[in-house]
Amino acid sequence: MKQPRRSGRHALGAGAAYLLLTLPPVRHWLEASMASHMLVQMPLLVALGMVAVRLLPAGRRRRLRNGFGGPLACLTAATFASAYWMLPRALDAAIGEPLAEFAKFVSLPLLVGLPLALAWESFGLIGRGFVWTNLISMQVFLGWLYVAAPLRVCNNYLVDDQLRVGWLLITLAGLLFAGWLGALFRGAPASRTEAPMYKTA
Amino acid sequence: MAKNTYLPAPDHGAKTGVLAYLLTTAAVLLLMMVAGLLMRLEQAQMISIGANGFYQLMTVHGAGMVGIAGIAGAAIMWHFLNQYAALSVRVLVGNLALFVIGVAMVLGSVFVGNFHGAWTFLFPLPGNSLGLWSREAAAWFMGGMLVIGTGFLLLQLDIARAIIAGYGGFARALGWPQLFGRDDGQAPPPTVVASTMVTIVNLIALVVGASILAMMLVNLYHPEFAIDPLLAKAMIYFFGHVFINATIYMAVIAVYEILPRYTRRPWKSNKVFLASWTCSTLMVMFIFPHHLLMDFGFPKWMLVMGHVIGYLNTVPILAVTGYGALMIVFRSGIRWDMGSRLLFLSMFGWAAGAMPAFIDGTIRVNYVMHNTLWVPGHFHTYLLLGLVSMVFGFMYYLGKPARQARDPFIDRAAFWAYLVGSLGFVLAFLYAGKESVARRYAEHLPQWVPYDRVASYFAVLIIAATLVFVARFIGHLAHAGGHHTRATVPFGAVVA
Repeated sequence: MKQPRRSGRHALGAGAAYLLLTLPPVRHWLEASMASHMLVQMPLLVALGMVAVRLLPAGRRRRLRNGFGGPLACLTAATFASAYWMLPRALDAAIGEPLAEFAKFVSLPLLVGLPLALAWESFGLIGRGFVWTNLISMQVFLGWLYVAAPLRVCNNYLVDDQLRVGWLLITLAGLLFAGWLGALFRGAPASRTEAPMYKTA
Repeated sequence: MAKNTYLPAPDHGAKTGVLAYLLTTAAVLLLMMVAGLLMRLEQAQMISIGANGFYQLMTVHGAGMVGIAGIAGAAIMWHFLNQYAALSVRVLVGNLALFVIGVAMVLGSVFVGNFHGAWTFLFPLPGNSLGLWSREAAAWFMGGMLVIGTGFLLLQLDIARAIIAGYGGFARALGWPQLFGRDDGQAPPPTVVASTMVTIVNLIALVVGASILAMMLVNLYHPEFAIDPLLAKAMIYFFGHVFINATIYMAVIAVYEILPRYTRRPWKSNKVFLASWTCSTLMVMFIFPHHLLMDFGFPKWMLVMGHVIGYLNTVPILAVTGYGALMIVFRSGIRWDMGSRLLFLSMFGWAAGAMPAFIDGTIRVNYVMHNTLWVPGHFHTYLLLGLVSMVFGFMYYLGKPARQARDPFIDRAAFWAYLVGSLGFVLAFLYAGKESVARRYAEHLPQWVPYDRVASYFAVLIIAATLVFVARFIGHLAHAGGHHTRATVPFGAVVA
């Protein structure tokens, strides 16, 4: 009975982390700058959705994935939902309108994290690699958009905050790429112990 | 007496997907050669297609040759790598389908939309046509590039998957345990090492290429989102230079796999071989600044890096592969046929083609030579005599009906015509460069025209020889899928 107890602890931890993020002081602190809003609070909400999926039994995850319409449908849903929250107007709305803030706290775990985790586990290296490489190139692209924008894109944040986010996105893209390639250099732990398929003459 | 004790792995026939790649390669190569001939005839004032027509052809010729070099290299890499790691036929075919769609978009942008901003689509030219082409034409061109890049990305990801499944990771597939530890003689075969290197550098190049293309597409419709032109140039050249470099690293697998079958001597992945591929994995990504040496606005360290690494990168793989090819053939008693001849020629083409780049990579030389025909002289030597020879060598090898089959006289004549034609053609470029003839000019001064005319005659010779190669490959297509021994047995070796 070790596994369910551990899962229970993890679920409790995830729930506590979610509640912590909703607390007004934490919320205001993270939303005070564009960088912590976009690059800390929002990814954390997505990550909590992904953790929640990992805590479900395999059978339920499979049923959920099928309910969504399969891994590609899950990925499409996650892409569209995350694309909406990349819009500067959506960021402004989340700060100024309680309903939009509520939508953010619900949609990021449920419409991005959850379907992404469901899709992820059924993708092989090609699917995951495609998502990674797209994510990285789009992060560079988005970072450039923030750096090159000729105007202040959010009413709630200053231009220097916007510039910082742009450069952080580009830096993060570089780090993610290095991390992903590094993982490919190490390879799958299981296959590292296997004898390689050498063809001998 | 030559030692010919090595028994190569059995010959595998090509899958239908690989043959589709090779047929596409043959058709596109011929078309691109004709486009090149038309450009030289225009410069030679022997025909009149006008400046617009010239730049349209230049754009298609550049983009088409880079793309088809990628397709041809991928066919060779896939064919041989599939014998060591299980690759996906669906992904192979998917890449070709995306390539065809991308090519259709590029052709539409050039011949319908009149886009002629060169294959390098250097910022800000695509968006500043002065009314010669529309934004939509530029967007179709860049969109086509994105589609082609997506196909190659999927192909490289599938290769990464197969290599990791078979060898446990890129580090092991590059032979790092043997390189940095004790050489237990169990290093991965040269095909796997080369494919791993190509996969690493191409994945990085394609991500950078996708980023700059997306940025330029936004800038096309919203110019207020400004791009630093030097950053754009660096990103485009990083992507383009790594990609075109990788094509020859894919194609050289044909040399590693086929020459040992003719000489009965193995091509070993020893420490020197592994070190050379590891060095080039790094250096090929830092060599591109030799194309930026005239851009004084770049940081000095970057230009110095381009200069130094430009020198260094010429050595490892080229020297190891060239020396390896010489040693494997020397006193082997090899019986030459079209396949082995073309593959051996490709070693010369690769080595000779790298030399003008080596010279042009010197900053002082670059100032006066880079915008002359010296540079097309470099990459035409490298591609025509290097990469394209590897591809035709592979086609001849695949299409060989039986081990003892003899090459007809017309094929042997075509080989010499191809060699003479290519040498004459590239020397006309190089000599014109030495005489300071500017490159990318549709109209040439009267004193430049003789070089253009000489080059045109040699280009006709190349096309005639290529027609023979292509016709023979199509004629022998039925044999290309067969699992039979193709390489001749060297003198003094026992028939297995």
